[in-house]
Amino acid sequence: MNSRLLTTSLALALAATTLSPAFAADPIKIGVPVGLSGANSVVAPSVVQSAELAVEEINAKGGVLGRKLELEVADDASGAAGAQKAFDALIFQKKVNVLISMETSAARNAGLPIVARGKTPYIYTSFYEGKSCSPYLYVNAWVPDQQVPPIVDYFNKEKKAKNYFLIGSDYAFGRGMLAFTKMYIEKTGGKVVGEEYLPMDGSDWTSIISKLKASGADALITSTAGGAPNVTLTKQLRAAGVSLPYGNLAVDEGTAKGMGADAAGIYLSASYVTGIDTPANKTFLASMAKKFGAELKTPNDLSVPQYEAVYAYKAAVEKAGSTDQDKVLKALAEVSVDGPRGTIKMDKQRHAPLTMYLGQVQPDGSVKVIQSFKDVDPGAQCPGKS
Amino acid sequence: MLTVALDAVTTAAMLFIIAAGLLIVFGVMKIINFAHAAFLTVGAYAALVGAHLNLPWFLVLPLAFVAGALCGGVTEIVIVRRLYKRPLDAILATWGLGIVLGQLITLMFGREVQFVQAPISGTVHLFGADYSAYRLVMIVAAVILGLLFTGLLNGTRLGLSTKAVIMNEMLAQGLGVDSSRVRLITFALGSGLAALSGALITPLSSVDPNMGVPWLIGAFMLVMVSGGSLLALAGSCAVLGTLQVLVSTFVNPILGGLTIAICAAIVLRIRPEGFARA
Repeated sequence: MNSRLLTTSLALALAATTLSPAFAADPIKIGVPVGLSGANSVVAPSVVQSAELAVEEINAKGGVLGRKLELEVADDASGAAGAQKAFDALIFQKKVNVLISMETSAARNAGLPIVARGKTPYIYTSFYEGKSCSPYLYVNAWVPDQQVPPIVDYFNKEKKAKNYFLIGSDYAFGRGMLAFTKMYIEKTGGKVVGEEYLPMDGSDWTSIISKLKASGADALITSTAGGAPNVTLTKQLRAAGVSLPYGNLAVDEGTAKGMGADAAGIYLSASYVTGIDTPANKTFLASMAKKFGAELKTPNDLSVPQYEAVYAYKAAVEKAGSTDQDKVLKALAEVSVDGPRGTIKMDKQRHAPLTMYLGQVQPDGSVKVIQSFKDVDPGAQCPGKS
Repeated sequence: MLTVALDAVTTAAMLFIIAAGLLIVFGVMKIINFAHAAFLTVGAYAALVGAHLNLPWFLVLPLAFVAGALCGGVTEIVIVRRLYKRPLDAILATWGLGIVLGQLITLMFGREVQFVQAPISGTVHLFGADYSAYRLVMIVAAVILGLLFTGLLNGTRLGLSTKAVIMNEMLAQGLGVDSSRVRLITFALGSGLAALSGALITPLSSVDPNMGVPWLIGAFMLVMVSGGSLLALAGSCAVLGTLQVLVSTFVNPILGGLTIAICAAIVLRIRPEGFARA
């Protein structure tokens, strides 16, 4: 009996080894510099998880050109100094073939010169303020030209809004987003009756809210730093009885859920919400739930592009026939990926047209998709570059 | 205009609630407790825990106070007691303690922003304007707090001992006042107040491990210009809080955030005793 058990398990073990794909050469290394500590630490784990799923799925199907994919995650501490160390270590010590990551703008800008020295392809998977151009950089997430129009168009048309009030946190992303919003509002015939900022760590919005109430605005758009400022502003708006149409450029599904009743009614615009009703998204969500179980961090607009970018790199390497940097960089603009967000191709000046979803937060904290805008163009992000 | 006036009064009330604990510690011990921000955060998390346990709001506030007072009592015995003769080192030690507490909170509750629902929501129609009901509650809370502490200082045995220690510690000791006990109770009381203020502001704020820090500098400056008197603190909160609201409303909210610090510095330059009677 005992010996039979032994033979069976041996046979099984043998079968398992022969069944798993054989990998010929060295693995292809994907560097993921990400903010495991600092401002991005809340969202970074979800980004790493989705990269892990993509790598596991690809390896289970035989890898890329017969080579296995391998992740190298490094903490960039959400800032410039940490990013310099992380990029340096990934490119020159770990010798990664590509960098794929969601990061703060400060970290991205600090990393780009190192990317140029190492001539490493870099797919940036975070939405950002736009206009970052480098021969090595591709972006598969949204820029202001894609995120703002759905909200403003909807307010103009459905809410008959004319006078807008803008509130933001005083930093590059907050001011950049609202500068574009203002331009777009004025272009579409509206008027900005007030534009106010508070420092990033500010939590007392009292006078700004009083000004808003006195301004006669009929719609409000905010772009604060994520987390605390966004929460304090929303709570104080609700406490002050503000019930204008309220578009929030910085809220995500997770934050909305946590805020509870105060978040109800907020409009948001994103390229990914968990409620996208496509087979690809449902399969993705099921695989994530299966792989991570209780540890799962809810997939979001920062983690899903990360998942798709791994597939974009796979497609580019297969099209190029090698991991040669020049060939891969050329191929990245030519391949398209079918993912949870739909079909995405980074062919517009190294940025991608994206389907944007206008959602409204419901009283139970879920986000209901009100309208979708197909393949919104990223606009001229890097004029003169293909 | 009316809204601006209400903004000014409610802002002053919130500043008073937050700075009161710091002032009491400074008044008795002549040290600045830079862990004040961390105790405030402790109170906010106590409110969060209370909210998760579905405790009614009138029980959440005492819970926050007790949590803060316990932290403060332990801090006094373990750290602050050794540093009365070294006020500058005490600043460093309490600042460091604030960082440690912040990290402990992060370990226990995570780094993310959390939420406490307001016990009172919506607005009140007042003199022809809709105004946030919870902010109006802050005025009532500040007045109650002020009266309670004036009563405590002037109407009880403990208050008498405390005033004796404030005026002349050596003499008080000579008369049999146990000044180290007074210090312990005062520090615990101040910390409890910090936590209470944290619980009170959470409905208007977010709960995160660093939530207390932005309030600390303002509270510190207010205490500096008030020189240890509760009445002077109420005065400086009213004046500087109003100035902050005026600058935020009519100039720019970013400058508004600096108003208290700058004005306090100017006041201290011209009149070193600040708003306190010399």
